[in-house]
Amino acid sequence: MTSMSSIVLAASEHADVVPVAADGVFSWMWLLVAIPAVSAAILLIGDGAGDHGPLDRFGHLLGTAAAIASFVVGVVGFVALLGQDVAERAVTQDLWTWMQVGGFDVTMSVYYDQLSALFVLLITGVGSLIHVYSIGYMAHDPRKRRFFGFLNLFIAAMLVLVLAGDYLVLFLGWEGVGLASYLLIGFWQEKRSAAVAAKKAFIVNRVGDLGLALGIMLMFAQFGTTNIHEVGLNVTNASQSVATALGLLLLLGACGKSAQVPLQSWLLDAMEGPTPVSALIHAATMVTAGVYLVVRSAAIYDLSEVARTAVVIVGCVTLLFGAWIGCAKDDIKKALAGSTMSQIGYMMLAAGLGPAGYAFAIFHLITHGFFKANMFLGAGSVMHGMNDDVDMRHYGALRKLMPLTFITFAMGYLAIIGFPGFSGFFSKDRIIESAFATNFWAGLAALLGAGVTAFYMTRVMILTFFGERRWREDVHPHESPKIMTVPLIVLAALSVVGGALTFSDWIEDWLTPVTGSEHHELGVPAWVITLIIVAVVAVGASLAYVLFARRDVPDTAPQQVSVFTRAGRADLYGDAVNEAVFMRPGQYLTRSLVYVDGTGIDGAVTGTAELVGDGARGLRRLQTGFVRTYAAEIFGGALVLVLALLAVNLA
Amino acid sequence: MSAVSVQAIVGAAPSPIEAPDVDYATISPLLIILGAAVLGVLVEAFVPRAYRFVTQIAVAVVGVVAAFVATVVVGAGLDTVDGEVTGRGGPTAMGSLSVDGPAVVTWAMLLFFGLLGVLLFAERRLDGGLSAFTSQASTPPGSADERHATRLRIEHSEVFPLAMFALGGMMFFASANDLLGMFVALEVLSLPLYLMCGLARRRRLLSQEAAMKYFLLGAFSSAFFLYGIAMVYGYAGSFGLAEISTAVSSQIGGQNLLLAGMALILVGLLFKVAAVPFHAWTPDVYQGAPTPVTAFMAAGTKAAAFVAMLRIFFVAFGGARWDWAPAVWAIAIITMLFGAIASIAQTDVKRMLAYSSIAHAGFLLVGMAGLTSGDGVTSVSAVLFYLVAYGAAAIGAFAVVTLVRDAGGETTHLGRWAGLGKESPVLAVAFTIFLLSFAGIPLTGGFISKWSVFAAAWDGGAWPLVVVGVVASALALFFYIRVVVLLFFAPPQGDGPTVAVPSPLTWSVVAITVAVTIVLGVLPGPLLDLVQQAGAFVR
Amino acid sequence: MTVEPFIGLSALLFAIGAIGVLVRRNAIVVFMCVELMLNACNLSFVTFARAHGNLDGQVAAFFVMVVAAAEVVVGLAIIVSIFRTRRSASVDDASLLKL
Repeated sequence: MTSMSSIVLAASEHADVVPVAADGVFSWMWLLVAIPAVSAAILLIGDGAGDHGPLDRFGHLLGTAAAIASFVVGVVGFVALLGQDVAERAVTQDLWTWMQVGGFDVTMSVYYDQLSALFVLLITGVGSLIHVYSIGYMAHDPRKRRFFGFLNLFIAAMLVLVLAGDYLVLFLGWEGVGLASYLLIGFWQEKRSAAVAAKKAFIVNRVGDLGLALGIMLMFAQFGTTNIHEVGLNVTNASQSVATALGLLLLLGACGKSAQVPLQSWLLDAMEGPTPVSALIHAATMVTAGVYLVVRSAAIYDLSEVARTAVVIVGCVTLLFGAWIGCAKDDIKKALAGSTMSQIGYMMLAAGLGPAGYAFAIFHLITHGFFKANMFLGAGSVMHGMNDDVDMRHYGALRKLMPLTFITFAMGYLAIIGFPGFSGFFSKDRIIESAFATNFWAGLAALLGAGVTAFYMTRVMILTFFGERRWREDVHPHESPKIMTVPLIVLAALSVVGGALTFSDWIEDWLTPVTGSEHHELGVPAWVITLIIVAVVAVGASLAYVLFARRDVPDTAPQQVSVFTRAGRADLYGDAVNEAVFMRPGQYLTRSLVYVDGTGIDGAVTGTAELVGDGARGLRRLQTGFVRTYAAEIFGGALVLVLALLAVNLA
Repeated sequence: MSAVSVQAIVGAAPSPIEAPDVDYATISPLLIILGAAVLGVLVEAFVPRAYRFVTQIAVAVVGVVAAFVATVVVGAGLDTVDGEVTGRGGPTAMGSLSVDGPAVVTWAMLLFFGLLGVLLFAERRLDGGLSAFTSQASTPPGSADERHATRLRIEHSEVFPLAMFALGGMMFFASANDLLGMFVALEVLSLPLYLMCGLARRRRLLSQEAAMKYFLLGAFSSAFFLYGIAMVYGYAGSFGLAEISTAVSSQIGGQNLLLAGMALILVGLLFKVAAVPFHAWTPDVYQGAPTPVTAFMAAGTKAAAFVAMLRIFFVAFGGARWDWAPAVWAIAIITMLFGAIASIAQTDVKRMLAYSSIAHAGFLLVGMAGLTSGDGVTSVSAVLFYLVAYGAAAIGAFAVVTLVRDAGGETTHLGRWAGLGKESPVLAVAFTIFLLSFAGIPLTGGFISKWSVFAAAWDGGAWPLVVVGVVASALALFFYIRVVVLLFFAPPQGDGPTVAVPSPLTWSVVAITVAVTIVLGVLPGPLLDLVQQAGAFVR
Repeated sequence: MTVEPFIGLSALLFAIGAIGVLVRRNAIVVFMCVELMLNACNLSFVTFARAHGNLDGQVAAFFVMVVAAAEVVVGLAIIVSIFRTRRSASVDDASLLKL
C-alpha cells in the first residue's frame, strides 16, 4: 500500500506537535463538559420525588439551554483556535492528577486541538439542534425530564471522549457514551423489544470495549504511559508487532462502538430508541467514535501496515454490508440505520488509508453527521405524522402533506447519494478517489457502495414521499410543529453547504498537524473518477425509480423474493452468526440472563415458581444448601490443590 | 515462636529464662482494641441494663478511634528499611508480629471498617427502637420467651465486644509474623463472627442456619490450614516466616512436605477470602447473617485474610513462587468467572452482593500475581488499595440493604427493589454508586482499584489473568447495570419498597462510604501514595 | 527416630476426621470430627518437634488445644441454639439457604 518512506515521514510529523498550555479562552474549555454534566445531574437527581415539580415543567428547557451553552463555548474556542499560530493549535489544560503510581500518571486534562475542535462543534451543534427538536418530539412523554437528562449526560460523556488527552480518560468517555446509549435505547422500557435491544447493544459493545481496555493495558505495559501524545511518541520506537497488536485491539473497540462488521448487529435493533436518539447517538456522533479513535491513534496506525489493512477491510465489508441491509428493510429507521453502518464503513475505509485518508474520514464524518441527523429527524417527523408507524409500505405521497419535511429530507437524500454540489458529493468523492489511488479493490468496493446507496435511498424517498397513498385508515398525516421543523431546516442547509469545508483544501490543511498528510497520484485525472461515480450513482437511482416508482408497492412485504433480499431482511444473518459464535458456547450465561429478565425484574410478580430456570440449574447443583455438600466441595478443592502442587514437583 | 525455642532438649544446662522484650507502643493499636473488647465484657457484667447498650457503643467507638490515632502515630514513626526492596518498620514483640507498612495500612483500614460496622450495629431506629440483633439468642424463635424478652427490650449488647475481638483478630492476622500466630489470629477473628452471624432479630431460622454453616465449614477449613502449618513446620522446623523463607531458598529435600503444606495453607486462606471452590458458604452466610454483621464481615475478613495471604506467600513462600503461582492463577480465573456469572442469576440482593464479593476475591487474586517490587504498581499496594475501595463500597451497599424494608424486616428480593429510585432517590443513587464501583466504572474507586491490580498483574507477566479479568468485569457490569435500571425504571410492585428512616448513624455510614467511593475514583492520589509508601512486607 | 509412622497415623486421623465431616449428619458428630482433625495436627506438631529437636511444635500443640476449647464453646452454643429451635441437630435439616 503505502511506501515505507512516507510512513516515516508521517510519523515524524506527529512528533512535531507539541501541545501548549492553555491560557485565555482555552482555559475555559472544561466548561464544555461541565455545563451538560451539571445539567444532567440536576435533571436526573434533583427534585426526584416530586412529579410535576418545576423541573418536570422546565427541565427540557434547561437541558436544551445547557447543550446550546456548550455549543457557544465550542464556537468561541474554535474561533480562538483559528486565531492561533498553526504550531500552537494543540492546547492542553491539566485539571488534576487522576492517579499517580510510581512513574505512571494519568492527568485529567482537556486536550483541545484541530480534531477535537471539529468534533466539539459537531457534537454540541447537532446536539443542540436535536435537543430543540426533542422538545417537540417528546412533548407528550411523561418522563421528558429524564430524557433530556440522559441526552445531556450523553453530550458530556461524548465531549469527555473527544477532549481526552489520555486513553484512560477517553475510556471514561467511551464507557459514558455506552451507558447513555444503553439508557436511551431502552428509554421506553415498557416496550419489551426496546429493553432487549438496549441489552443487546450493551453486550455487543462490551466485546468492543474489551478490545479498547486490553489495548490500553498493552500501552501501559509497553510504554508505561497512556497519554495519547506520549504513546504516539513512544510507539515509533516500539516493535512492529506491538503497533500491530495495538492497532488491532483499538480496531476491535472501534468496531463495537461504530457498529462495524463483525460487531454490527446491535445498531439495527438500537432503532427501538426514540428517534432523536437515533439521530444524535446512532447516526451523527457516538457511532463515529470508532472513527475518531482510529484517527486519533494515527501514530499507531501509521506504523502498522497490517492494522491499516484490517481497518480498510472492515470498512469495505461494512460499507457493502450496510448498503445491502439498507436495500431490504421496510422499516424506515432500519433502512437509515443500514445506511449509517455503510457510511461509517466509508469513514473507516478512509481512516485505514493512513495519512492519505484521515482528513477525508473526518470530513465525511462531519457531512454525514449533518445529513444523516437531518434524515433521521425527518423520519421522526414522518413517524410523528403517521402515528409512529415505521413501515414505509404504509407511507406514500407524503410530499404534499409534509412539504417541509419532504424538502429537508430531499436535501439529505441528495447529499447522501452524492448529488453534485451537495456535501456528500465532495466527501464521498474524496474517499473513493483516495481509495482508488491506494488500492484498486478498495476503490471498487467504495464505488459499488455509492451505487447501492443511491439505489436504496431513492427507494426510501419514493416509498415515503411519492407514489400512492397507502396509509392506514386512522392515520392523518400532518406537518410537524415549528420546533421540529426549524432544526430540520438548519440541518438541511448544512447538508447542502457542508461540502464547502473542503474548498481550497481547508479541512485537509486544518487537520494535517494532527493526522499528517499524503497525496497519492491517481492513474487518471480526478475528474474522470468523479464522472464515473456520478454515473454509477445515476444508474443506482434510476434502477430504484424503475423498480419502485413505476410499480405498485404491495402492502405487505412479498415473500417470494430473491435470496439477496431475504438475507438483507435477516440483517445478513448477523444474529445467527452471533448466536453460533458467541451465544452457544455461553448458553448457560444467556439462559441465566433470560432467567433474570423473567424473574428478577419482570416476573417477581409471578412468584418464585420460575426460580428453577434453566440457567440456575447448574448453580443449584452446587449451591444445594447442605453443609455437607459445601464441605465436600472444600475437601475436593483441597485434594485437587494438594495434588496439583505435588504434581508440579513430581513432573 | 523462635524465642521460645530452647537450644537443646536434652543434655544442656537450663539457661535462665529471658523476660520477653515487647515494644508496647508499637503494638498499642492492637492492645487498645483487645482492651476495649475486654472492657466490653466487664461492662456487660457490671453496668445496669438500661445503660449497657449506650456504654458499649461508647467503649467500642472510643476504642476504635483511639486505636486509629495510635495506628497513625505508629505509622508515622516507622523506620525506613532499605534492602532489596524498600520497606518500613519491622518485626516486633520477639518477632511474632511484623509492624511494617502494609500492616499499619491494613490496621487503619480495618479500624475504619470497624468504626463503620459499629455505627451500623448501633442503629436502633429501624426496627421500632430495637437493634438488628435478637433479644436473647438462647430463646427459640417464635417462643413465648422470645416475645417476653422483646417486650422487656432486652438486647444483645455483647455484639460490641464480640466485634472488637473479631477486629483485634483481624488486625493480628494481618500483622502476624509466624504461622502459629496466624492460626490463633484466624480463630480469634472467626469465632466471634460465627456467633454474631446467628444473632439476627428477624428471620432467626435463617440466621441460626447461617451461623452453623459458617461455623462448621470455618472450623473444617481452619483444620486444613492448621495441617498445612504442621507440614510446613515439619519442613522448615520453625513457624517464623523469615525462617521458613530461608529454608525455602536454601534447603534441599522435603519438597513434598512444603508443597502439600503450602496447598493446605492456601485452602484455609482461600476459604476466608471466598475464592472458588471454597466459596460455597459465602452466599448463604451473607444472606442469613444480620446485615450489619454481613457488612462488617464482608469488608473486614476479606481485607485481613488477603493481607495475611500476601504476607505468607510473599514472605515465607516467595522463593517457591513458581510452585504456587499456577494454582493461584487457575483459582483466580475460576473465581472471577464464577462470581461474575453466578451473580447474574441472583434474585436476592444480599446473595448478589455475596457473589460479587466472590468475584472480587478473584480480582484480588489477580493482583497477587503481580510484581512484588519495582517502581510501578506492586501487588501489595494494588491489593491494599483494592481492599479499601471494595470494603467501603461493600459496607455502604449493605448499609443500604438495612434500610429497604417491609413489614417483615428487610426486603431483599430484587423484584421488591423496583422503583426504589422513586421512593428514595438519594438511597438509590448511593446504591448505584456502589454498584458502579463494584463494576469498575471510571470515576469510582472500583475503577482505579481494578486498574491497579490489573496493571500490577500485567507488569508481573500475568497477562492472561488480565484478559480474563477484563472479560469477567465486562460480564459483571452487565448485571450491575440491570440492577440500576431496575432501581430507577422498573415499575414498582404493589406499593413498592419502603425505605425506613434511620438515625444519623446509618446515614453517616452511607454518606461516608459514598464519599470514599467517589473520592477514590476522582482523586485517588493520596491513598495511592500511601499504599506505595507502605512498601513491601518486612519480615 | 523415624517420623514416618507417626506422620502416617496423623494423616490417617486427619483423613478419618475429614471423611467424617462429609458423611455424618449430626452436627455434634461433625464437630467432633473437626476436633479429630485438629488432634491429628497436634500429633504432627509434636512429631516434627521431636524430629527437629526444638520445642516449637510442642508449644503449638498447647495453643491448638486452647483454640480447640474455645471453638467448642462457640460451636456448642450455636448447635444447641439451633437444636432448641428445630428439635434436631441434623446438618441436613438446616438447608433453607440455597442457590
